[in-house]
Amino acid sequence: MGRFTLNRLLWVIPVMLGVILIVFTIDRFSPGDPVAAELGAGYTQEQYDAKKAELGLDKPFFVQLFNYVSKIITKGDLGNSYHTGLSVTASIAERFPVTLKLAIIAIVIAVGLGVPFGVISSTRQYSVADHAVTTFSLIFAAMPGFWLALMMIICFSIQLKLFPASGYKQWNCWVLPTLSAGLSFVATITRMTRSSMLDVVRQDFITTARAKGVNEGTVIRKHALRNALIPIITTIGFQFGILISGSVIVETIFNMPGMGSLMMTAINNKDYPVIEGCVLVLAFFICIINLITDLAYGIADPRIMAQYTKGKKAKMKEAVK
Amino acid sequence: MSDNLLEIKDLSIHFYTDDGDVAAVNGVDLTLSRGDTLGLVGETGAGKTTTALGILRLIASPPGEIVSGEILYEGEDLLRKTDKEMQKIRGGKISMIFQDPMTALNPVLRVDEQIAEVVRLHSKCSVQESLKCALEILEKVGIPSERGKDYPHQFSGGMKQRVVIAMALSCNPQLLLADEPTTALDVTIQAQVLDMMKGLKSEFGTSMILITHDLGVVAENCNKVAIMYAGQIVERGTVQDIFNNTSHPYTKGLFNSLPSHQGKSKRLKPIRGLMPDPANLPKGCSFHPRCPYADRLCFSEPAELKEISPGHFSRCHHADKGADLYFPDEEINEIAYSMGFPPSNPGNDILGKGKML
Amino acid sequence: MNKRVPLPPHPHPHPQEFDLKIEDIRKRSQISDIWKRLRRNKLAMLGMVIVIVLLLSAIFAPLIAPYDYAVQDLANAKAWPSLAHPLGTDDYGRDLLSRIIYGGRVSLLVAILAIVFGLIVGGSIGVSAGYFSGIYDGTIMRLMDVVMAVPGFLLAVCISSALGTGVTNTAIAIGIGCVPGYARLLRAQVLSIRDQEYIEAARATGASNVRIMLLQIVPNILSPVIVDSTLRIGGCILMISSLSFIGLGVQPPIPEWGSILSAGRQFIRSFWPIVVFPGLAIMLTLFGFNLFGDGLRDALDPKLKR
Repeated sequence: MGRFTLNRLLWVIPVMLGVILIVFTIDRFSPGDPVAAELGAGYTQEQYDAKKAELGLDKPFFVQLFNYVSKIITKGDLGNSYHTGLSVTASIAERFPVTLKLAIIAIVIAVGLGVPFGVISSTRQYSVADHAVTTFSLIFAAMPGFWLALMMIICFSIQLKLFPASGYKQWNCWVLPTLSAGLSFVATITRMTRSSMLDVVRQDFITTARAKGVNEGTVIRKHALRNALIPIITTIGFQFGILISGSVIVETIFNMPGMGSLMMTAINNKDYPVIEGCVLVLAFFICIINLITDLAYGIADPRIMAQYTKGKKAKMKEAVK
Repeated sequence: MSDNLLEIKDLSIHFYTDDGDVAAVNGVDLTLSRGDTLGLVGETGAGKTTTALGILRLIASPPGEIVSGEILYEGEDLLRKTDKEMQKIRGGKISMIFQDPMTALNPVLRVDEQIAEVVRLHSKCSVQESLKCALEILEKVGIPSERGKDYPHQFSGGMKQRVVIAMALSCNPQLLLADEPTTALDVTIQAQVLDMMKGLKSEFGTSMILITHDLGVVAENCNKVAIMYAGQIVERGTVQDIFNNTSHPYTKGLFNSLPSHQGKSKRLKPIRGLMPDPANLPKGCSFHPRCPYADRLCFSEPAELKEISPGHFSRCHHADKGADLYFPDEEINEIAYSMGFPPSNPGNDILGKGKML
Repeated sequence: MNKRVPLPPHPHPHPQEFDLKIEDIRKRSQISDIWKRLRRNKLAMLGMVIVIVLLLSAIFAPLIAPYDYAVQDLANAKAWPSLAHPLGTDDYGRDLLSRIIYGGRVSLLVAILAIVFGLIVGGSIGVSAGYFSGIYDGTIMRLMDVVMAVPGFLLAVCISSALGTGVTNTAIAIGIGCVPGYARLLRAQVLSIRDQEYIEAARATGASNVRIMLLQIVPNILSPVIVDSTLRIGGCILMISSLSFIGLGVQPPIPEWGSILSAGRQFIRSFWPIVVFPGLAIMLTLFGFNLFGDGLRDALDPKLKR
């Protein structure tokens, strides 16, 4: 298992290098001139050259790339914002915790609500509860996060005055944002849990468990759910990227000082280093989450763990047994 | 209080599907005494598994339903018991072994834990004790106790089936329902597993209903036989009755579809036609479309189970006449060969003349 | 016992009626069957209706929309829904209903362009990787993995911010995100087809007729692609709206649901229709495509869950 983890960790490096290359290339080869944008109207050639050198854009492409990558690896330095001149790494470090907190709470809500809903829906198929849950999940799965956020603001902040629409210091500022980011995910997890449970409950080993005299509640909990959750773990990892993307937008609506608002300002200012830095950090984070879900998947399903840990020789020995 | 361990009277189980209502089990009567091994024989779709699941009341409630009948176990009707009472019976007094060992075990639980679970459910012991019990039973079925900590995917098919058998026998049930326990295994493993089951059966004194479509297995292991066709028992009796005095045409057909190792036949003799669609059973005797002896009576009237000799029942209008008596032997052979059908008393083919169980 | 008894007439029709006809089996996996299965799924039908309505309104937008989307009527700005303006007007007096109808057209157009782009580029990559295998396959799929490491939306943000706003730019930005998914899908299809036993069986029974083989291979590749694309369109439309919402994507005066929402944010307290209605449009569209895509998937492969 240790070897597997190490193996996967090592894979992260080339992947991230590739991502850096792609992101970097996209920005450097795009139309529009950040130097001109920074200088505004009316500038001399000298000012232009000076600015260009200041931004490090006068060197050839590969040199720029190399500098960029080496700075990241050695110092974790993602460059400086074209606009403010501040260190990108510092800005991100300041804002990442907010985004992270939002994402984590959203996932907890999603799993905490989604799994029970899915179990209820699957064990009471075609009942009123099932129809209600299915309708709810179909509607919320189609709801764009940012619109849900706005709707919630209209409903809870403006009309009912229950929760604030901005700020991040008090706990009630976090209610609406996390719900907006998480509810769509709740819907996805509910549907997945439901279909996974329906699949599992049809399998032979569930009949075996019942034939052993296990009571229905234990059958569902210990036998069915433990098997049904396995594909859901992989979905969580898979959907995490979507969740993060969604929460990034939700942040901006609620004026939370996270990476979302950082990115939006950067987009408006064509501030490439900031945009690149944000995308890289988020991509890296998602890579790590994928690694963790793969590990969790192995822990939950002993068959997968066997695949992870055994080398070729051990696999042969097993086949002969 | 009869000494019958199990008496099934007129059991009917229906399934309500989008494509129509299916009478999977249609008025089944069975009796089993202590120590018996009843072979329940029939093709796929005859209703054998459904009957067994019905005994344990494991029929999936939509879409299935036990419509009528009584299942008397030690004199008490199982169909009137509460869920809690049934849970105590399942695994404790009546156990079941399923057909496919590859999917019968929970893949995320250790094998010893799965056996220990049954033990804990039916006796008051601690987790440690139940695990120890589990390992003992594993040894009994020929699995070294070190393997107890392994997961099901680490075992081969035959060993998985042994684990399933261990699970089923762990609490000394009085009745074991074995649903084609060796069908999914290689022939050599089949023999091993059946032998092992025989041994355990005599050691624990368990009665068994052995569901199979293999008449050879029945010959080796059972003392009573019941043949099922289209949800009904069409013939029932001791092994000698069924093999030596085969009465029902379907049973004869089954015997004759076996390739004869006596060397005479050149072609396989299948029973013509297919099992009827259970949602659309034929009127009259359910076997008549495929029966070479069928006549107007068979067309119109369903047949009842008639006792043609003590303990030997057959569901055929011509059972007492003995279908053989209808035609002279040589003519039978002529007609039979042209239709792909039997020489008479085909059971002897299998047992070899004179060999009795 | 040796008396000759006349044989009674065989009471039932000739046993041949029991033999299954081969043609009956073959006909089963055809379009009529798929359609029947689809029709039984009421939710999928609802989805299909929604999708068709969207398609029609997109195609016939100039005929259906009561006003042109750019016509301003400042005197009537931020008017609440009325007979003249069923969904009200925005802050420039432009009819919201018309803007939403035309917005649907834009969303659909960009989504289709993105998917076609992704399918052509991703498809070529995937099919060639599956066909040639070896080092080419290995490298190019690793490249796809790298692109997939960035979540589609973030990648689209990156590309969009570099390329700028507009219909084509947005289509490319989103299309590039679709490429790895299609590459993987088509590669898997090619690999599985190559080894399929029914291809060998078809050859073995003498069906060396190239047309028969095409009839075997193409339908089997098509269905996962169709299902995937239908499910993907919804996601693309969501991405387009999200991009427009944050200032990328498609911007005014071209109407796009996300940008209308974004512009209307400032009026959220006083005039909520401008925020509610475009969002409803997005939601309804996604809803329709999700239902239809799910239903299509179930109808095309009934072996999967019920």
